[in-house]
Amino acid sequence: MKQILIAGAVASTALVATVGAASAQACNDADRVPITWSTIAGFYTDAMAKLVSGFEAKNCVKVNVVNIDNSQLYNKQVIEMVGQTGAYDVVTLETSEKAEFAENGFILPMTDYFADKKAQLDDVAPTLAALTTQYKGDVWGLPYYTYTAGYIYRADLFDDPTEQAAFKAKYGYDLAVPTTWAQHRDIAEFFTRKKGDKLKGEELTKDFYGVGLMAGPFPEIQDEMSGVLWSQGADWLTDDGKVPVDAVEKAMDDYLKLVKFAPPAALTVTYDGVMNQMKDGQIAQTYSFFLDQWPNAVTTEQSVPGARMGVAEAPEKKAYIGGFLLAVSASSTHPKEAMDFVAYIGGHDAQMEFAKAGGTSTLMSVLSDPQFATPESRAKTGHFATLLKIFDDMKGFRSNLFDTPFGAKIYNTMQIPLQAAAAGQITARQAAEQLASDVEKICGGPCPIGK
Amino acid sequence: MLQRPTSFATEVLRYGLIVLVLAFIVFPILWMVVTSFKPPQDVMVSPPRFLFTPTLDNYVHAIWEKNFLFYIKNTLFISVTSTVLVVVAGALAAYSFARYNVGDGHILFFILSTKMFPAIAVILPYFLIFRDTGKTAVGRFLGVGLDQPGALIISYTMFNLPFAIWLLVSFFQDIPRELEHSARLDGLSRMKVLRKVVFPLAAPGIAVTGVFTLIFCWNEFLFAYILTRKTASTITVGVESFFTLQGILWGPVAAAATISVLPMMAFVLLMQRYMVRGLTFGAVRG
Amino acid sequence: MSQSMSIPASQTRRPATMSAGMSDRWFSILLITPAMVVILVFALLPLAYALDVSFRFADLTRGRLGDFVGLDNYRIVLADEAFWKSVGVTLQFTVSAVVLEMVLGIAIAFLINGATAGKGIIRSLMVLPLATSAAVTGLFWRYLYDTQFGLINYFLGLLHLPQPNWLGDYTIALWSVVLFDVWQWTPFVALIALAGLQALPKEPFEAAELDGASTFRVLRTLTFPMLKPVLFLVLVLRTIDSVRLYDAVAVLTRGGPGTTTESMTFYLYRTGLKLFRMDYASTMAVFFLYAMLVASLFALAPLLKQFSTRASEG
Repeated sequence: MKQILIAGAVASTALVATVGAASAQACNDADRVPITWSTIAGFYTDAMAKLVSGFEAKNCVKVNVVNIDNSQLYNKQVIEMVGQTGAYDVVTLETSEKAEFAENGFILPMTDYFADKKAQLDDVAPTLAALTTQYKGDVWGLPYYTYTAGYIYRADLFDDPTEQAAFKAKYGYDLAVPTTWAQHRDIAEFFTRKKGDKLKGEELTKDFYGVGLMAGPFPEIQDEMSGVLWSQGADWLTDDGKVPVDAVEKAMDDYLKLVKFAPPAALTVTYDGVMNQMKDGQIAQTYSFFLDQWPNAVTTEQSVPGARMGVAEAPEKKAYIGGFLLAVSASSTHPKEAMDFVAYIGGHDAQMEFAKAGGTSTLMSVLSDPQFATPESRAKTGHFATLLKIFDDMKGFRSNLFDTPFGAKIYNTMQIPLQAAAAGQITARQAAEQLASDVEKICGGPCPIGK
Repeated sequence: MLQRPTSFATEVLRYGLIVLVLAFIVFPILWMVVTSFKPPQDVMVSPPRFLFTPTLDNYVHAIWEKNFLFYIKNTLFISVTSTVLVVVAGALAAYSFARYNVGDGHILFFILSTKMFPAIAVILPYFLIFRDTGKTAVGRFLGVGLDQPGALIISYTMFNLPFAIWLLVSFFQDIPRELEHSARLDGLSRMKVLRKVVFPLAAPGIAVTGVFTLIFCWNEFLFAYILTRKTASTITVGVESFFTLQGILWGPVAAAATISVLPMMAFVLLMQRYMVRGLTFGAVRG
Repeated sequence: MSQSMSIPASQTRRPATMSAGMSDRWFSILLITPAMVVILVFALLPLAYALDVSFRFADLTRGRLGDFVGLDNYRIVLADEAFWKSVGVTLQFTVSAVVLEMVLGIAIAFLINGATAGKGIIRSLMVLPLATSAAVTGLFWRYLYDTQFGLINYFLGLLHLPQPNWLGDYTIALWSVVLFDVWQWTPFVALIALAGLQALPKEPFEAAELDGASTFRVLRTLTFPMLKPVLFLVLVLRTIDSVRLYDAVAVLTRGGPGTTTESMTFYLYRTGLKLFRMDYASTMAVFFLYAMLVASLFALAPLLKQFSTRASEG
């Protein structure tokens, strides 16, 4: 009922707005409709400012951007939603948060809004769209950025003849981008060296590690483990809303086998720590790593002499699909303008601009645009081709974690047992069991799954 | 010093230890200041780099790109106003407790007990209160609403009053009553006695209370983060704008942190001469 | 001091001599009014809210306050293992941090008190950690503690000492948080103890020296008894702050690895502002307040007694 009312209100304001659109050019600052967008701090600030002014030039709207640290964004937005303050018109949601915001009426469905803009909706990479925009048959916004995970590695090490020969001698197969977890583990083990050992024939001045991991106290270890778990045909939640303890234990065990080849800081860092280790020439590869960091990772070629970076799909072609969804708050006083803004930022023109600035776009038309595949644009968009492959290989994939309204709470809690196991405090079995009981507590029983 | 033969050795040992202690205390802050002058490629490197070409880019970034002075300005206004309110309201109440023993210790105990409540537990009620006051005319006029300085000023006043009153009570107890009594006999009104006689005598205590309150307000994070969004944000919240999706901008954070520590340091150094005596909280009575 | 010149209880004589027209009683109430208004409104309202919520179902993400559930929340919280674990972490942190800060602080105060020159500059440098916020300096401590880029392990490496994983090793992470707290707050204790030492009257000590009393005896019979009130005050202050440990954990470890450094307030934060179970969070807060009140009844009783006796003896 409430939704119908809102939809009606949106439709009627839409009519008024189309009439008024013609006069947008001659818009006085005083007449501008203010909307506020809560988003991630320090996020391609310049490009975003440009996009915002691009939107303002076409619409009689003033966009007020509120920057919030990524780790605080969720709770800050929930508080404002619960308080129905209307302070944020457009919110930024992580993949796991969409269902909660939709289920609890914090955000407005945009199904009707996009009814006549189907082409735009279809341009969103389908794999990403399925996980980030859809819930219970409705469309809840547009993702404007993806941090889908893949594999980033030091290609120069893989191409080095001495390393290749040594690897072949030790493991009996060729050193190459891993396609299985077993290969990935071997490579991690192979490249783990001590200070004074040789790497590429040169003596190391500091310890070198086979893999960079993010097992710190941030919700990131679950992103890494998602790749492992999903490729084993399991999910964090079964269809009856329970944690599959055996499967999680197996994935955890596989993960633990990697931890010993990672720098000790793996237990304290998040992705920026891993990037710092890469740029300082301390690690050989990082799997299930956010590909949007490619422009960052590629600077290793400047900071480490002789380094060359490579990007590929994660082993077994499964990895975390992450995206920031733009959605319109239910307490927004200007839902129509807010929806226009979402459509604009998630739209082709804005996404092209964004990609040129080094942002990782969510649209097929942008990711596959030939100008981003040229050698000159490698430093910024060299990962686009890999992303397309990932989206293609994971087509039709869904995770129950993103389809339960408790997804955000689970997501914000699950790193605790997983990290405890990574730190060696508890076993993989105990971690899986603790996760199962934590999740049960959060959902108050089996978690509801709403596809 | 020369009378005792051991004293030179002791002095060397003493100063050696003092230097060690000071090194431990100063070092983290010094490293932060050093980092603020580092170019980005020299920050996250192993082994740590001690020699580098210093740059002011981080300060430029913090001040111009991130507009950090805006947060400093907000923080200054909010902290100073709260401190003044705390000191004035706190001093009046503390005087009353010290002289008239209002409530026979029960009220004082109640006040102290409010300090025990964890801030995290009251933050949501505060959020709801200020959301509602912000919608009223008075709230709008006074700026007491979400993302307005008044909300933080009230919160900080509340959270510092118990401590301030507690500190001040003992200072007022140290002031001999006879002085007030004779001033009253000289025809001064009660408020004048307070202003002209009592408060000046309690100056060290008031200074110390002020310093602690200001330090608390300046460094507070939780309330600032929940109750503000943008226009009233303070430095501790502002620092978060340096945590980007490309990682923490260590150089600019260090610059911003250095800038934000400076006013506090200057203030504390200014108040030094009062603090020595004030820091005893009037509890050591010579 | 003033005890020797004891003046009869003021209430009895003021109205006769003072002509202002306001009784002491009214004046004293007037004085506490501004502070009391703020405290009553902004302490009691949230407390009432917390109490109310603690008896209801309140998953904030699922709408407004829910139904009355009696003592269910109390039953659940008191049976919650993670809650008791966080209580344990808090106690462990508080005891170790406060003891270390008090012992080191007092020792440093004696060290500096004996110094002949440079006290001003020493004091100025000591104030530094107090003037910085844990939210900001904690960040730089995380950088110092880092096993790959941190300065601490770099120096330890130079000295061929073991290089611990300060924040990642579950057996030492809590101690690293303690060390950070010790860094920030020992100077506070030292400065106050130093001020206390400097404020001590000279005469008793000169007399003791003439008597040829040993240093230890002077400390035991003169210095510490005279410093006791101020040290006790510092102890109480540090304890209250330590029990509410939040900022340092939030910035250094976020309670990790696992929950090894999850203090009670951090667990409260996670329950209230990540899981949005305000019912459990409020219940914990009420429990926390209750425990603190009971503890402070004992801890603060001597202080309050001191206040009231001094107030009435004037």
